[in-house]
Amino acid sequence: MAIVRIPTPLRSLVGGADEVEVAAANVREALEELSRRHEGLRERLLGPDGELRHFVNLYVGADDIRDRDGLETPLAERDVVSIVPAIAGGLPDVRALMAELRQRVREVSAEQVHELLRRPGPRPVLIDVREPDEVEQGMIPGALAIPRGLLEFRIEQAVPDRATPIVVHCASGGRSLLAADSLQRLGYRDVASMAGGYRAWEQAGYETTRPLRLSPAQRRRYLRHLAIPEVGEQGQLRLLGATVLLVGAGGLGCPAAYFLAAAGVGRLVIVDDDVVDETNLQRQILHTVDRIGQPKVDSARRQLLALNPDIEVVGVQQRLTSANVSELVAAADVVLDGSDNFPTRYLLNDACVLHRKPCVHGSVFRFEGQVTVFWPGRGPCYRCLYPAPPPPELAPSCAEAGVLGVLPGVIGLLEAVEVIKIILGQGEPLVGRLLTYDALRARFTELRTRRDPDCAYCGEGRPFPGFIDYEQFCASAGAGQPAAPAAR
Amino acid sequence: MVRCQPSAMRAIIEHAEEGYPAEVCGLLLGRQAEQGCTVECALRARNLEPARARERYELDPRDYLRADEQARAQGLEIVGVYHSHPDHPARPSATDRERAWEGWRYLIVAVAAGRAQQVRAWRLAGEEFLEEPIAPGPPGEQPAGGPVPANRPGRHPW
Repeated sequence: MAIVRIPTPLRSLVGGADEVEVAAANVREALEELSRRHEGLRERLLGPDGELRHFVNLYVGADDIRDRDGLETPLAERDVVSIVPAIAGGLPDVRALMAELRQRVREVSAEQVHELLRRPGPRPVLIDVREPDEVEQGMIPGALAIPRGLLEFRIEQAVPDRATPIVVHCASGGRSLLAADSLQRLGYRDVASMAGGYRAWEQAGYETTRPLRLSPAQRRRYLRHLAIPEVGEQGQLRLLGATVLLVGAGGLGCPAAYFLAAAGVGRLVIVDDDVVDETNLQRQILHTVDRIGQPKVDSARRQLLALNPDIEVVGVQQRLTSANVSELVAAADVVLDGSDNFPTRYLLNDACVLHRKPCVHGSVFRFEGQVTVFWPGRGPCYRCLYPAPPPPELAPSCAEAGVLGVLPGVIGLLEAVEVIKIILGQGEPLVGRLLTYDALRARFTELRTRRDPDCAYCGEGRPFPGFIDYEQFCASAGAGQPAAPAAR
Repeated sequence: MVRCQPSAMRAIIEHAEEGYPAEVCGLLLGRQAEQGCTVECALRARNLEPARARERYELDPRDYLRADEQARAQGLEIVGVYHSHPDHPARPSATDRERAWEGWRYLIVAVAAGRAQQVRAWRLAGEEFLEEPIAPGPPGEQPAGGPVPANRPGRHPW
């Protein structure tokens, strides 16, 4: 008979005995015999595979059976078999911590996140908490990169609303658990961690992208932008990636283009068929005395690149027509209307409606100016406000009426601000609002504008009527219609 | 209730302070009582995880065997385990819970800057650790345990 010594934690299973005698030729037989006699013992000692559980040690005398023949270790008469519970513990290790976090943090799979981002409607904010050098190797398109160490400090700016659904991911799903837990502590109510992280996303074959980064020179040049939370590196990259179509390199186009170039809007396409004239210099600040007689687009391009060689300036020395407008508007993210005549305004409006591009519109008259944003689908278009142009005699041009030189500067810069806001997706663009400026009174007034549901061009569900003969349309303008304001 | 001989408690605290910043472990010899248990003496054991001794312990089974022999010789039994938490509270960690055996007492010593701060006793009940008060020595005395006064360096309430 061999003797099996039972440790305290298992004694309740053998009726409180501290040792039990069994008849057995080897350790396995001894355990089988014990298990037969005492219910519940077997599963404590042996795994489903019949092998000794790793948290149990068995000793025959002073020898660990693992150093002898394992469960087949033979037993002699009066041998003492000791069941020795493995005793271990310690401070929380990372594995235990992760297990604990999984109790508190909801996990979603890469497949689920892919689906969430694809479906229409409100999408969760995806935050990539990896370090910048990891993000640089590739990231999920649309993810917001905030390193784990800065997350708590930046999240309120990035996601002000605590109810916003957030999915956090890292490289393999560990850091994102910590990050998600931390966000929950900060009061974010709908936070999930993407299990498997970026690796799982890549393995699933979903789209990835390499993030653009600012060069050190760009970082210096745009330092004041980087300091603004609403711009930052991501915003500056958006500006650098944007294309703005400027119609006219005149009173409005010059100041607007100057500041858009300074702000780092990556591609400025300027359309103007005119040449620089001495009378332009009172307000068209991109041009100079020595460039009188040169094409305005060339003059503007030189001045803009002298200020910021980091951007691309494309001059199109043509009049905007039905033939070229579509291609130019389609390639732009935002259109800035600095035109000085009604046929161009209607043409530009119709093209913006066709391609659903936001058009920032400005006009000036002596001491007054106005600015608004026509964003097809979001607010009225030019035709909603002015279905027909005014009769020519009521719409004097700048040449006829005159304009305070600085006025197009003010309005052109307000237009530039709207363009930048639209590119950044920040603030409230002047959609459905017309801002007027009365320089003599030094007064801004905001007027509400409404979309015309029956607008021939932007009315919902209407087919595009096509471009028309705009010269003829404006020349034959008559009474009975609300007239567009005179302006340039 | 865990009734612990002052000499045993002193041995545990000395071991924990001596080992700092490593984690130390040992076995508690005593008797199961009607409610809780008594601890007559504490025996040091080796940590099989020397490389990770700052945050892990794995008690050498040979020390268990020796302790078991001694307990049987004295008419006692192994009633539990003690270990230290260097620079960490005297609460069981998830690792502790995962590896704990029901029926044993777990005494945890929090050590900070080489000084024992607190000793607490825990018992696994299902998935949860329940705390039990610690009282010194023979039955009838007041429960003590709790924080070790920090303003009396080198002296313990035991």
